[in-house]
Amino acid sequence: MIEIILSYLNQDIVIQKIVLIGSMSLLLIGLFGLLTQRHIIKVFMSVAIMESSLFLFFIGSTFNKNFTAPILGDGHVDFIHMNDPIPHAMILTAIVIGMAVLALGISFAIEYFKLTSITDIDRMNEMKN
Amino acid sequence: MSSILFIALPLLFAFCVPLLEKLGRNGVAYASTLMQIFLAALAFSFFGLEHPQLEIIAIAPPLGISFVLDQASVFFVALFSSLMTLFSLYYLWQRKIKSYKNEAKFFILLNTLLASAVGLVLSNDIFNIYVFFEIAGISAYILTAYEKNAKALEAGIKYLLTGSVASIFLVLAIMLIYINIGSLNLALIAQNFETLPYNLKVLISLLLFLGFGFKVEIFPLNFWVSDVYEGSSTLINGLFSAIVVKAYLFVFFHILYLLLPSGEFSHFLIYLGALSMLVSQIVALKQTNLKRLFAYSSLGQVGLLFAAFSMHDSDAIMGAFFIVFAHSIAKMILFLSLSNIEEHYKSVDISILQKINAPYLGFIMLIAMLSILGIPLLAGFVGKFLILKSMALDGLFGAMAIILIASLLESVYYFKLSGYLTQKEERGTLLSLDLVQKILLSFLALLLVTAGTAPFLVLDFAAHAANVMLDAQSYIALILGAVQ
Repeated sequence: MIEIILSYLNQDIVIQKIVLIGSMSLLLIGLFGLLTQRHIIKVFMSVAIMESSLFLFFIGSTFNKNFTAPILGDGHVDFIHMNDPIPHAMILTAIVIGMAVLALGISFAIEYFKLTSITDIDRMNEMKN
Repeated sequence: MSSILFIALPLLFAFCVPLLEKLGRNGVAYASTLMQIFLAALAFSFFGLEHPQLEIIAIAPPLGISFVLDQASVFFVALFSSLMTLFSLYYLWQRKIKSYKNEAKFFILLNTLLASAVGLVLSNDIFNIYVFFEIAGISAYILTAYEKNAKALEAGIKYLLTGSVASIFLVLAIMLIYINIGSLNLALIAQNFETLPYNLKVLISLLLFLGFGFKVEIFPLNFWVSDVYEGSSTLINGLFSAIVVKAYLFVFFHILYLLLPSGEFSHFLIYLGALSMLVSQIVALKQTNLKRLFAYSSLGQVGLLFAAFSMHDSDAIMGAFFIVFAHSIAKMILFLSLSNIEEHYKSVDISILQKINAPYLGFIMLIAMLSILGIPLLAGFVGKFLILKSMALDGLFGAMAIILIASLLESVYYFKLSGYLTQKEERGTLLSLDLVQKILLSFLALLLVTAGTAPFLVLDFAAHAANVMLDAQSYIALILGAVQ
């Protein structure tokens, strides 16, 4: 029984659907958090979840399980049956940028908390006139 | 000389800072300014460019990154580098009165901002554009929160949050483009975008619009702008208004002209731009804080630019180039002047203009305000005239009416401010500027007057630049020609 389920799940089309549905659900979870959470750290976490869902979506949709890593060696002498390295390079860059922005945002939030003791984004209204 | 210097030099500068700091307090400041003067001179040396220049970085397109310097992008590069130079020169004298803490970091941020703004304009790789989009964003977030008081940090948090959401939309658009077209090169994307299913084209266009919409400050995605302007320091506001938003505007329309050369959504975008201008001017009327008021005024001008660029018409784009030039200079004058006023009188309330005792500064500010309004003999007039003329010729009377009503509202508050500056009231203590600051402000004002009184001096260049920006086919041929 388990083998049947696993062989069903191992089909390309099923994997693609799992990736699509999973990453879009994660995107919606992040969006839900962004819209409903008021604590600034939770808001940043929601943004990070949304970003991660996009990374999973992109890697998942461009990855082929039958292909190898794009590295010559171990018997591979030509660039055939290899996964496209560009999405991986792109996502690596995007992860670094996302992490930098997140760290910056949290450091702003910490400094702001030290000055005002406020963590609720609805109460951040120094400039409402 | 290579166009890559515009990006490489400011970024390399950051690595040289520890060495430059050993030269004393002024080492970093002088080195940064000298480098910017060099870059501005380099940008002007490209003005005589006959043909667009393609700079390939290590690997030829479509795999590698390349920069395209044509008549349209050279205008923006020259504008950004010269305005940044003038800003730095102004700050060199301003810092005698008030300087930022950790000045070395401040200069690093100025240079990363310049490098990323230029990178956005020159790059022809959409992922590379995303990287510059984020570098410009990060530099701007830090500059916003630089003073680390509650207001500045709050503004920084708001800016960063909206920027992060914008980047999510942009990343998703780039991913969909890569999955469906298999390239990140703008020319290849432009060539194959037509073949995509209609729904996918609409989805990608919408995601790109949402990604860039936050950054180009278009209604209704511009709710965060006034808070960021109020929270950040006045000097920095000048950079946001003159450089950052203009770089995003250019890259948004550059991509739009390449992907949708026949202007599928142009009517929607024109009316959105006009509406953005109207809403901003209505809100500006109620403002009592000068920084917020100038922020809404910037939003209004960006709305006008958005409508003009959306028209896919070379005359309108020519007018938009004039407005970019006039508005960047005028806002730079206003924010630099306001920083002096704020420092001397400790207020940015609108009523402070009745009390300031600075005839020279008042006169220069008056010229800038009148130029933004579009009064004849000043650069802003030429831009507005060209845009409205091409709207009339294209039969866009609805958008024209909205823009005229918005301009009327704009004149209400700008004439009120002009009145405050000129009325004979009892004034406060005399605010005297340094001679160099006076020269710099006069130079900027002189540019507005010269471009307004003798537009024919730059009209040919602007017309050519507008045609180059619109000509997607030549751009594609230039890059794909390098592939073969």
